[in-house]
Amino acid sequence: MAQQATSATGQRSTGVTMSERIKRVLRARETGVLIALLLMCIFLWQVSPAFLTVRNLLNIGRQISLIGIMAIGMTFVLISREIDLSVGSIYALSGLATGMLLIAGAPLWLALLIGLLIGVSAGAANGLLSTYGLLPSFIATLGMMSVLRGIALLMTNGQPVTINESSGVAPDTLSAFFFIGQGRLLDVIPMQLVFFIAVSLIGWILLSKTVFGFRVYAVGGSDKAARVSGIKVYQTKILAFVIMGFLAALSGILSLAFLPSGQAGRTGVGVELDVIAAAVIGGASLSGGEGTILGTILGVLIIGVLRNGLVLTGVSPFWQEAIIGLVIILAVGLDKWTSSRRRAA
Amino acid sequence: MKQRMRTIAVLCAVAVMALLVAGCTTVAPAPAAAPAAPEAAATTAPTEEAAAEAAAGEFTLAPAIAERVASGQPLRIYVSYHDVSNEFAPFLKAGVEKAAADLGVEARFVGPVGADAEQQIAELENLVEAGAEGLAISSVSTDALAPVINRFIAAGIPVVTYNTDNPESNRLAFAGQDLEQSGYEAAKVLAELLSGQGDVIITTLDAAAQWSIDRETGARRAFAEYPGINVLTTVNTGTEPQEIYAAVENAMLANPSVTGALSLECCSTPALGEYVKRNGLQGQVTVVGFDELPTTLDLIKNGFIAASISQAPERQGYEAVRMLVDFLKGNPIADVDTGVGVIDASNVDEYLK
Repeated sequence: MAQQATSATGQRSTGVTMSERIKRVLRARETGVLIALLLMCIFLWQVSPAFLTVRNLLNIGRQISLIGIMAIGMTFVLISREIDLSVGSIYALSGLATGMLLIAGAPLWLALLIGLLIGVSAGAANGLLSTYGLLPSFIATLGMMSVLRGIALLMTNGQPVTINESSGVAPDTLSAFFFIGQGRLLDVIPMQLVFFIAVSLIGWILLSKTVFGFRVYAVGGSDKAARVSGIKVYQTKILAFVIMGFLAALSGILSLAFLPSGQAGRTGVGVELDVIAAAVIGGASLSGGEGTILGTILGVLIIGVLRNGLVLTGVSPFWQEAIIGLVIILAVGLDKWTSSRRRAA
Repeated sequence: MKQRMRTIAVLCAVAVMALLVAGCTTVAPAPAAAPAAPEAAATTAPTEEAAAEAAAGEFTLAPAIAERVASGQPLRIYVSYHDVSNEFAPFLKAGVEKAAADLGVEARFVGPVGADAEQQIAELENLVEAGAEGLAISSVSTDALAPVINRFIAAGIPVVTYNTDNPESNRLAFAGQDLEQSGYEAAKVLAELLSGQGDVIITTLDAAAQWSIDRETGARRAFAEYPGINVLTTVNTGTEPQEIYAAVENAMLANPSVTGALSLECCSTPALGEYVKRNGLQGQVTVVGFDELPTTLDLIKNGFIAASISQAPERQGYEAVRMLVDFLKGNPIADVDTGVGVIDASNVDEYLK
């Protein structure tokens, strides 16, 4: 085994042969997650006739979309070596504010704009506190999590915000708003999934094809090195938080448009953990500098398929949380353990 | 290289094994088997004697409180709810405020944001420290709050429970719905609507919570009276709204034979109704749930939810204060059953105000 490992490294840097290319693909962190995902799917396909149906797969697609959209944002934040714990509160506040504006008779574009602006501002506040404010982002966003949740509770007085025919929203505004959350593109693909795919594509281009993306990795790899090479570290990090805030707001609005009701004490509580878990399973590192959009998408899928599969196979509900936790530990742990052994050898 | 391959293999194996292990244990969610108070099930009559006995028993009013009552100063009463940020809280608060106005006392509605036992306890201790003549408590957790309630009682501070009882404690009396009875009544309504035939699922936000266990025990007792009703599973939906809907979606797809769904609480009730509405299952899946959220009422009006059980929350808040005031004035108090109201198409307009 050791021999093969040396011969593999020995061949490197010469011409890129086919086998070398395959090996490189296999080496990628995403490959492990992808294979785990495929095996899970094959297993579920064997044990549950309901799993591999178009309807169920589209259901999974929809169920993961809101977490997925936020996980794309979280990938940026984590790579830049920060964290955002306030996403669930931004999600609740933006969605509920949009709903209340619609009920108050605001036109759809205005309600959406203000909802998204709330997310952007919250993200900017997180970014400023974590950079110029000198607070660790863990603390800054932990504080913001409570502040924003409190504002949402005050704003709604703890009452549910419900958008429906009897809430006084104009019928065409209502149907347009519902289309965003409940509609299906070409009558097949849930709109939430369409948003997730679009956000993923834009996120992928931004992270891997632009100067900004390069800077995010550089900042997360090493603040100092990035600064020395002329990268504006603070601006880059703040922008990552703003993207996160925007995407959390988008998810929150889509959630309200889907359900179509939200409650400040409940909506989005605890989602930050799923969001962070998805990004981490996909290979994003809490110590910065590492992570990809593809990895995050796979991480989101793992969580979504697990949740769905455990219900389809009639598993006791209490297993779900334990199993998802185990998968997080193993996904990250196996990568670390084996890579350190590799380094030692 | 080989190492990496092994990582992949191990990761996959573990993920599949996790599913396998879980798959083998199948169904039987904890609450079904939970030994939740079988003796309580038999007693549906108000337990007047028991409450009077407890009140007359070891309790002696703290001297400071007796003084305050005698002085005629307004009584300070705190009504602590286990989660002031949930849908139910505003209705309870309204009842508390109405009682305060009617009875001329200073009653305040307090409690933690998000069900949190430690926060609830800390706040109660602080309030008692600052001076309180009476406490009404809806426990976030029976076990966590019981010792605290007993400590207050021992110190001569009157404590009643409301909404969610704390049977483990020495509380003076309880105002609220008998949870097990309400679960029984709800299941009975569903079973009758199904003419005693069909496959049923039960949904709940938190299958391990005491209130849920009590309601589920009652519901399963009612379903057991109908041999044609088959309870397939209990779905634990979690409390986040998107999570709730996803759990309902998955459960319905996993159990295509379902003709009836019983929600044990406020919040998976509208999720079931929405699911029926969006998937054109009206007439095929009958939904019965709890509480009077605006969405729930709307779905009842449009025929997607057959019935919902009302808990009369305003009355619970009102009675909590009323009991304490009565007790402080030296009158005997007894448990108050705030009752079970069935909301369906015939009377939904009264609730839609």
